[in-house]
Amino acid sequence: MTRKILYILSIAGLFLSVSLQAQDAQLKNKYEDKIRGARFIPYLNYPGAPFLNDKFLLGELEMLDGTTIKNIGLNYGCYRDELIYYNTDISTQIVVDKNSLKGFSFTDKRGIKRTFRRQSYNGSFKGDCFFEVLSDGDISLLSYRKVNLEASDTYDSKTGMSFQPAYTYFLYAADKGYIPLNMNRSSLLAKFNKQNQKLARKTLRKNGIIVSDEASFVQAWEVIYENGILPEFK
Amino acid sequence: MFLAALGVRAQDKTHFSLSTDRDLYTSGETILFKIYLPGADQSVVIKTDLLNAKGKIVEEVSKNIKNQEADGFLYLTDSLKTGTYLLCTSTGENREIAVKELFICNRFIGLSETASLLRATGQEAASEKSSDSIVVDGLNKTCKVREKLKVSIHLPSELFAQSKSNLLVSVAEVIPEYTTKPFLRKGRTGTSKFNEKEGLVVEGYATDLRNGAPFENGCIFLSVADSIPGLDYFITGKNGYFNFQLKDYFGKIPAVVQGYDLGKKLLLKLSINHPDSLNEAVPAFEFTGVPQELQSRAGEAMEATLLGKAFNFQPLSIGNSSINRKFNYPFYGVPTEVVYPGLFIDLPDFTEISRELLTSVKFRAYNRIPTLHMLNPVTQNNFNDQPLVTLDGVPVRDLNVIKNLGSKQISRIEISRKERFYGDLAFPGVVAIYTPKADNKLLPVSDDLIKLTLDAVQPDASLNVPRNQKMNEPDLRKVLLWNPAVKPEKIVRLDFETSDIQGHYKLVIKGKTGDGSILSKELYFDVK
Repeated sequence: MTRKILYILSIAGLFLSVSLQAQDAQLKNKYEDKIRGARFIPYLNYPGAPFLNDKFLLGELEMLDGTTIKNIGLNYGCYRDELIYYNTDISTQIVVDKNSLKGFSFTDKRGIKRTFRRQSYNGSFKGDCFFEVLSDGDISLLSYRKVNLEASDTYDSKTGMSFQPAYTYFLYAADKGYIPLNMNRSSLLAKFNKQNQKLARKTLRKNGIIVSDEASFVQAWEVIYENGILPEFK
Repeated sequence: MFLAALGVRAQDKTHFSLSTDRDLYTSGETILFKIYLPGADQSVVIKTDLLNAKGKIVEEVSKNIKNQEADGFLYLTDSLKTGTYLLCTSTGENREIAVKELFICNRFIGLSETASLLRATGQEAASEKSSDSIVVDGLNKTCKVREKLKVSIHLPSELFAQSKSNLLVSVAEVIPEYTTKPFLRKGRTGTSKFNEKEGLVVEGYATDLRNGAPFENGCIFLSVADSIPGLDYFITGKNGYFNFQLKDYFGKIPAVVQGYDLGKKLLLKLSINHPDSLNEAVPAFEFTGVPQELQSRAGEAMEATLLGKAFNFQPLSIGNSSINRKFNYPFYGVPTEVVYPGLFIDLPDFTEISRELLTSVKFRAYNRIPTLHMLNPVTQNNFNDQPLVTLDGVPVRDLNVIKNLGSKQISRIEISRKERFYGDLAFPGVVAIYTPKADNKLLPVSDDLIKLTLDAVQPDASLNVPRNQKMNEPDLRKVLLWNPAVKPEKIVRLDFETSDIQGHYKLVIKGKTGDGSILSKELYFDVK
């Protein structure tokens, strides 16, 4: 009998907490959760991948004041360097105002968390851009995931145009700026002075790292950086 | 449950402690106050109200709570009548109200029309231990006017080693015939569903204008006038309740609350929850005679206040509150176009302005029904719906409000040609009009539009002490020292100078121990 009463009480408690939560959710008016943006204007229909992902993935926005908005569908539009979120309540794709964000992150299909930061760049392209943080630290390895609409072989595209990735990579220190680099071993080593270059080369050899793709490129940088070998910012 | 209830009781053994610089004021002066909060109170904002003897709120301020303490000031306007007032402080989380009885004398009327005093009766003073372990060196029983004093306070270990709270140290004039002690009252039946954890709360109800029933699915806007206008919205539920929480605002801020039916058919009526009385805080009063000494001191205080005003002495320095705004652009985004009509030939009304100066915006006022359309740059057709029109940041639904605005009444027009989104709201383009005065006077008050002046969090202030004052300039300070945030150390040293006001003065040292109890020491001296 006692067990039955306890069971009924626990069920009643569960219902009570659910109804309280629902009431709270209705009452809450969170200014922070109101995302500002403009309607997403679809990209032209050319072959290639103008988005980073082929569908919206659940992610998190980090606003300028450090508050976060979690569990919203995000996709990064590489072609226009814009973050698109899907507002489920009004079934609309909205481009989040870039100047309202510090960054964003989402977990991709492979289960890897990918983090992007809004930073200002004044080199070959100018203004605030979203950079993917491949390796974070006092000196970070960043990638600008740009996709361009370029003329292509008519065998690939009937219209003669297609979206082509043009990713660029940077080493970045907040107080020193950016060092652009290509995704290969020699470009990475070229960013060190002669003495450090030797050490970096030795470290890569010791750890058996061959730079063949982005993952190994990131690994190479991380091993060099962990060993205290620093690049030369000019 | 029983154990949990016991736990809550055990936590809640400390109470509010409310201190003011003095007990008797004249209008035109400022009340300085300091509050220690109970340890269990997790509020971030504390409200302090000045009530008249009937419980009506005549002044109110909100302060941020830091480390379970807060301090602030209340300016006493000349519209206050001579009489007994109550300073009350409370948080949204706590049902306890700390109350202190004060006497305020109108500086133009004085006590001449006052035959008797109202004094609170039957109230037990809030528990504060008077501590002999606080030792004060260097303060004589009698001092001269304009004498520089150096005083050392030796604190017991429970105040400096075991406590994280700051000390209150004050030296102010006191009238022995009129002294009051704070007391606690129970029972604010809070109407708020929120405890101001995230800033100032504005809340109320939307009802159907036809039958007074709660209005569901009403869109309520709160607009705050600022250099970057703020807007928040709330969609009402079945009970018609709405609320807004204002963060990062300081001082008095003009705001507009308005609502409309999302179905665009029905009219609604808004009401804001605003306690204009705090009857629970009012104790029983009894009439007593006005002491002769009080009458003469009040007369001198009035003269000193009048003279102080003549010499334009500012008793307080108000600090600059750095505001870390979340957004550095308006809610409608960075405008795609900004037009300054003043740079062009004078145009008489908004129809002419839209015709001559605004590309892609078509405003017409045929047959007294104004319409506004905006070109969608993507489709090269007009947006189907009317764009959002704002006047000084406040959304305007009746375009008659703007139709007569000419070049002279408009300082700038910001236009966003994109389809903008703000949370779940969509704006098919935005026309934001700014007037030179930005005082919302053009907006007509109605059942669904309320203009408010919100008392946001008060900025910090410090007491002004004149330095190297000349002998021919009067020094009419009644508060010689007010430091509500003294870092507790083994020995606290004070430097202050007496003013030209002769009379009785009181040095107060108050602090909170590690267990939450209040220790205080009071020392009296005369200035002759």
